[in-house]
Amino acid sequence: MSTRVHPELRNQLMQFGIGDWNACYHCGTCTAQCPLSEEGFLFPRKKIRLMQMGLKNELEASVEPWLCYYCGDCSTSCPRDANPGELMMSLRRYLTSIYDWTGLSKKFYTSELWELFFILSFAVLVVVSFLVLLPSMGYHFTRELTSEGGVQVNAFAPIHVVETFDWTMAFIVASLLISNILRMYYKIIWKYGNTKVSLWVHIREFWLLIFNFAVQPKFNKCDDKRYWLSHWFLMSGYTIMFIVIVVYLPWFQTERILPIYNPQRLLGYYATFGLLFGLFVAIIGRMQKKDIKFLFSHISDWLFLAMLSLTAITGILIHIFRINGMPMATYISYIAHMAVLVPMILIEVPFSKWSHLAYRPFAIYFQQLKKHAVPR
Amino acid sequence: MFKIIQYLQMRRTEITGIFFYNPEGLYPDPIDYTDLIRYSFSFANIAKAYTCSDFVWNEKNILKKIEENNFGHIIIAGLMPGTVKALFSKAMALAGKDPENVSLASFNDYCSGTIYSPERLKIVLASIISGIPYEFTGIPDELHVEKATLVIGGGISGIQAALEIAYSNNLVYLVEKSGTIGGKMATFDKTFPTLDCAACILTPKMVEVNQHPNIRLMSYSEVLEVSGRPGNFNLRILKKARKVNVQTCIGCGTCAEKCPAQAPSEFDAGTCMRKAIYIPFPQAVPNKYLIDAENCIYLKNGKCKACVKACPVPGCIDLDEKDSELTINVGNIILASGYKTFDAGRMTQFGYGQFPNVLNSLEFERLLNASGPTGGNIHLRSQDKKGNWIFNESSPRPDKLAIIHCVGSRDKNFNKYCSRVCCMYSLKFAHLIMDKLPEAEIFEYFIDMRSFGKGYEEFYERIKQEEVSIIRGKTAKVEQHGEKLFIRGEDILRGEILENTVDMVILSVGLEAGEDARKLAGILDISTNADGWFEEAHYNLDPTGTCRGGIYLAGTCQGPKDIPDCVAQGSAAAARVIQSILKGRVRDDVSSVTLDHVERKIKELSTVPI
Repeated sequence: MSTRVHPELRNQLMQFGIGDWNACYHCGTCTAQCPLSEEGFLFPRKKIRLMQMGLKNELEASVEPWLCYYCGDCSTSCPRDANPGELMMSLRRYLTSIYDWTGLSKKFYTSELWELFFILSFAVLVVVSFLVLLPSMGYHFTRELTSEGGVQVNAFAPIHVVETFDWTMAFIVASLLISNILRMYYKIIWKYGNTKVSLWVHIREFWLLIFNFAVQPKFNKCDDKRYWLSHWFLMSGYTIMFIVIVVYLPWFQTERILPIYNPQRLLGYYATFGLLFGLFVAIIGRMQKKDIKFLFSHISDWLFLAMLSLTAITGILIHIFRINGMPMATYISYIAHMAVLVPMILIEVPFSKWSHLAYRPFAIYFQQLKKHAVPR
Repeated sequence: MFKIIQYLQMRRTEITGIFFYNPEGLYPDPIDYTDLIRYSFSFANIAKAYTCSDFVWNEKNILKKIEENNFGHIIIAGLMPGTVKALFSKAMALAGKDPENVSLASFNDYCSGTIYSPERLKIVLASIISGIPYEFTGIPDELHVEKATLVIGGGISGIQAALEIAYSNNLVYLVEKSGTIGGKMATFDKTFPTLDCAACILTPKMVEVNQHPNIRLMSYSEVLEVSGRPGNFNLRILKKARKVNVQTCIGCGTCAEKCPAQAPSEFDAGTCMRKAIYIPFPQAVPNKYLIDAENCIYLKNGKCKACVKACPVPGCIDLDEKDSELTINVGNIILASGYKTFDAGRMTQFGYGQFPNVLNSLEFERLLNASGPTGGNIHLRSQDKKGNWIFNESSPRPDKLAIIHCVGSRDKNFNKYCSRVCCMYSLKFAHLIMDKLPEAEIFEYFIDMRSFGKGYEEFYERIKQEEVSIIRGKTAKVEQHGEKLFIRGEDILRGEILENTVDMVILSVGLEAGEDARKLAGILDISTNADGWFEEAHYNLDPTGTCRGGIYLAGTCQGPKDIPDCVAQGSAAAARVIQSILKGRVRDDVSSVTLDHVERKIKELSTVPI
């Protein structure tokens, strides 16, 4: 494969994050410092080199940005203040926009207006459909709201409609995400380098994907181990909630208030706790800016945290109002909850920060495949 | 002269725009530009003023400004304005104007060291705007000069300067803070790239200083106060109590044999111990003992006097001697106060001060030296019976050594400048290790190899031929794994992580301004830059002068440099002194020229009325 130089790459990357990456004089301190950097997959210095030289194809074919969990040690020890940790973060944003074939991701990352516009329009759409669409289908708002006998969420938001909607949304999001992962696979394994990987290796190493997704052991390899736990709680809480509301909605959303030890409620409480704990650490960190990891916040970082927090808070409100038998408050919270949740899932999952949940374990899987690659 | 003024003043008929420039990061920027802009508008020909923050300085925008205002003449004022001159000349040419009509008002050229004094800046502006060259307005008067000279600092630069002046038959006072002259160079083993024995070439000069009839050597002394004008400085000098009579001490050493108190030897960079009554090193000049008041038992609790009892010369040791002061009168002062090395302990990742076999370069220099703690053989530091870590000749020799470059230099967290000498002395170390331990493996971790001088690149090539692993990539960390030291670094040229286990790590520490540089700057009323190096009068054209008349710089107190450069600058400073003595006059301080004075001068010289 011939090598093409893209001099504009440097300026393009500047839109995805802040850093004086040209200041790097290649002393190698960052790479030597990094406990995750390993033979054949050296970063961050090598990535800075690619960036400085404008080697776009090589950068797009690299898995290294996903191997970094941004402990910030490289940026602290950098003798040039070149901020390599932030480059890795910006590269993750950049790669997300590259894997995405629709081009929307790039728009969202480089233009705050676009992202806000889309989020708001989805939110408005949700509210409108609750107020206009559902009543027109025969579910009368006013009647349900005033009905006697406590809160009837399933009557207000009919479970089969919501479930159908959930599955549709999940399908759209999943197909976008899977197509992006396929593009990622194509760029990393297929297109780049004159090597091939046997099918058997693909199957044999697949457990890595599951294992890394569930445990995130690499994060714990960082010298700074404080964030592994909070991140893991956030991730597990989120995943449980996601599975429960998409796959097991009829089981999760019941009219009858179950006793507190029922797995339905326990799971919900665990997920809520995980989310809140992870969000708390991240938000406080980003506000205090004490850790270099939290020093530079891109708009997408804040939007992700804000939407996740709003989703969690409105979810908690629904729960509180529901068990206290306050129909009107419950329904309003429900609309608000959906108005945040829908844009979050539709925008964050395939196009923005959320996608790292998929790209990271896949990158580790692809890294393993690359290690076993043989010349074509 | 008037022809030049007439030519330059022709520009005053043009509409002039003034642009204030400050290169980012080169200097801190406490300059009050609004004040300067207000001042420049007091001249009729200034139409518009801009600063860097007003618009992005590129060809297109500048051209736009020129065309908008119909500038016929442009002045770029500020710090290093020459760096953007080409931009303006081109823009002028594109606008159809004379590209030659761009003048520079360089603050750091005309008043280096005083660049933050608003009055000096206005003087530069007034001269350039009015078209009268600064050389005709801003140059101070000349004063009568006394023949005697003071040299502060007895390192190689000070020694060179003192000898040059002394050989011109003029009196020199040489003030040295420590007990011996010789400075840092005396502690070195070899010099690069010629591998001369440092002591062999330095000690004859030290003896020369001691024996020269025109040199009054004042060791163990410090300058307390400087008063008076250039050409006639009055100095108060503190003569610290040596407590040993320099005249009668015969240097026999019986006192030190009997002395019970010990302290780490400064000369040996702390690698071995000396007594409280000591001679810094065997070839010290003056070769007389002195007492370290901090460690002397008698001075601490009033009992001991072992040295007095042992001394064969009656009355030579006077433990109750007090510090004394004396005053001298000189015409010129040469400042050669030197540097200190970077404290490697500040870079905690390399474990200096925690791991016994991580050494800094001065310590290793002593280890290589035949007069050092191990007699010039390289041994590991090991524990003695009491548990102290010491160097001795019975401990094992290292098989693998690593040298880490750029410790404390080129690092924004510590010193951002390059210390100039570390690459070369590290290569010298590699060679000397190969010489003494032919079986040893040597690893040099560098970022960029700066072999910039005459014969230096050849020296580098030579070391590369000797089996030294020269690795591009600074390490991140040194860890102690049992007896060994573990180093992790990136081998950049091979694209690999290099994990290495060695016996000894040598940190090539950089150079920093001396501890008392700022104090001396206050005493002498001259300025230092942000890093503490003394500011020269002009970076290119007057590297030995300062903003004060009669005060000159020599050696590393002005900036990091190697031995040949120090010697050259010592001679250069001496030449300036001898010039003023021969002429009988010396230039006054830059600050003696006031704005009033300059404005009057401009009026006198102007051919176009202001």
